Amino acid sequence: MTTDMLTLDNVSVEARLRDATLTLPRGALVGLIGPNGAGKSTLLQAAAGLLPNASGEVAWAGVRVNEIAMMERARRVAWVPQEARFEFGFSVRAVVQQGRYAHGDDDAGVDAMLARFDLSGLAARPVNQLSGGERQRVLLARACVTQAPLQLWDEPLASLDPRHALEVLRLAAELKSDGSTVVASLHDLRVAHCFDLIVVLAGGRVDAVGKPAAVLTPNRLRAVFGVTMRTGNGILLELP
Amino acid sequence: MVNPKRRTIRSWVVLGAVLAGLVLISLAWGELMLTPRQLWAGITDHDELAHTVLFQLRLPRVLTGMLVGAALSAGGLIMQAYFRNSLASPDLLGVSSGAAAGAVSAIVLGWTALSLWVLPLAAVVGAVVATLAVLALAQRGASTERLLLAGVALNALLGAITSYHLSHGVALWERNAQLLFWLLGGLEDRSWLHVTAALPIVVAAMVLWPLGRQMDLLSLGETEAQSLGVDVRRLRRTLLVLATVLAATATSVAGIVGFVGLVVPHGLRLLVGPEHRRLVPLSLLGGAAFVLACDLVGKLAGGLRLGIVTALIGGPFFLWLLRRRA
Repeated sequence: MTTDMLTLDNVSVEARLRDATLTLPRGALVGLIGPNGAGKSTLLQAAAGLLPNASGEVAWAGVRVNEIAMMERARRVAWVPQEARFEFGFSVRAVVQQGRYAHGDDDAGVDAMLARFDLSGLAARPVNQLSGGERQRVLLARACVTQAPLQLWDEPLASLDPRHALEVLRLAAELKSDGSTVVASLHDLRVAHCFDLIVVLAGGRVDAVGKPAAVLTPNRLRAVFGVTMRTGNGILLELP
Repeated sequence: MVNPKRRTIRSWVVLGAVLAGLVLISLAWGELMLTPRQLWAGITDHDELAHTVLFQLRLPRVLTGMLVGAALSAGGLIMQAYFRNSLASPDLLGVSSGAAAGAVSAIVLGWTALSLWVLPLAAVVGAVVATLAVLALAQRGASTERLLLAGVALNALLGAITSYHLSHGVALWERNAQLLFWLLGGLEDRSWLHVTAALPIVVAAMVLWPLGRQMDLLSLGETEAQSLGVDVRRLRRTLLVLATVLAATATSVAGIVGFVGLVVPHGLRLLVGPEHRRLVPLSLLGGAAFVLACDLVGKLAGGLRLGIVTALIGGPFFLWLLRRRA
C-alpha cells in the first residue's frame, strides 16, 4: 500500500489546467494558492474525480479513480464547492446528513458535526435562508460527516469570520492527525503558515510545491501574484 | 414548527380522504344525478342505467383525470428537481406544447388512422423534441429568467405549429374541433381507451417512487450530488425520460392542461417540506385530487374545460410565486 493519498499525473482540463502533476502524502494539511483563474477550483474538482473530461490520471491512495465505484468514491473523498445555491428549503440538518448518503444514509456523527461547526442552533433552519458564512459551514460539516480520508475544500475560509475560520483550521489539523489529508484552496496568504505543504498554481500549471517558508518567497509572490511581500507589523489571530 | 413527519402522515390522510370524496362526487355528479343509493346500485350492477353511466362514462373520465393529474404533478416535481428551480414545469417549459404539436400534427397528417398508438407516440416525440430544445437553451441550474424565457420561446414556436394546422384547414370543422381539444385540455368523452393509453403513467410513477432520496441530493447541485455518491448521469437520464413520458402521456389523453405541475408540488412543499421521499408519493396523490377538483369546478361552472380551470387557478398562483421570489 502506498503512503500517497492523492496522485495527479499529467491532469489537463481544456483551457483551465495544464499537465498538473502532484503527489500529496497521507496525513497532511495542504494549501492551494494562486491568483484568480489559476485553476484552483478545477484542480480540486479533477482531484475529486468530478470532471469526466479531464485527461491524465487521478489516483487516490494508489487506486485510479476510474476503477472505484461511485458510492465508494463518496466514502473516500469529500469535496466542498466554493459556493452553493440552495433553491429548496432543506433544513441545515438534512443537508449535513446528506454527507451520510454513501454510508447507508444513516445519521452517524451528524449532530456532533453540527455542534462542531456551531450549527446546532440552526439545525432546523432552511438552508436557503442562511448567510454566506453559515452556508459555507453547512457545506464543510457535510463534507466532514462523510469521514472521507481525503478532503478537498474549495475556498473554505472565504466567507467565514475570523473565529470560525480558525475553528475550521483547527478541525483540519485534527483530521490530519487522524491520518486524513485536507487540501484547501486559499486566498489569504496570512494563514498559509498553518499548512504543511503549499501548492502554487499559476496560469493553469503547478508552479511550486513545498513547505510554506520554502515556497512563499518574495520573488515567487511577485512573479505569481504581482505583490511585494513584507513581514512584521501585521495582526496575528489565534484561538484562545 | 410542526414535526414534518406528523404533517406528512396528516397530509396522506387528508389528501386520501379528499381524493376518495372527489372520486365519489365525480361519479355521482352529472346530467344524471345519482343518489348514494343509486351509486351503490350502479356499482353493484343492480341498476342498469346507473351502471352504464358509471362504468362507460364517469369512471373512465375519473380515472383518466386522476392519471393525468398525477402525471402532470409528478412531471413538474421532477423538472423542478432537475433544473433546481421551483418554477419549472412541463407546461411552462414547453414540453406539453411539444406533445400537443406532435399529437395535432399526427391528426392532420392522417396518421392517427393507422393505429391507436400513433397519437400518444406522436405526443411523446413532440415532447422529446421540446425537452431537448429546453436542455439546449437552458442548462441545469440556469437562472429562472433564462429557463422561463426558453419556455416562452418554445411555447410560442410549438404553439405556432398547432395554430398553423388549425388555420390551414378551416373548412374541416370536425377535425378542427378535434384539434382544439388539444389546445384546451379537457376530460370530456374520455373512454376506457384513454385510460389504457394513460397506463404508462402508472409505470413511470412506479419507477419514480424510489428515486426521491436521490432527487433530494440532485436538487442541491449535480456536482455535489455526484461527490456524495449519486450516479448523477444515470439519474438525470432517468428523470428526463420519466418527465417526458409523464407529460407526453398526460397531454396525449387530455390535451394541454397547464399549471398542475407548478401548483401541486409547490403547495405540498409548503405543507411537508422539500424532501422528495415525501413529495413524490404525495404529489401523485395531490395531482390526482387537484385535477378531479378542477374538473368538478368546471362542471359546476356549466362546462368549463379542465385546461381553463387549471389556468384560472394556476395563473394567479404563478404570478404570486414570481412576486414572492422577486
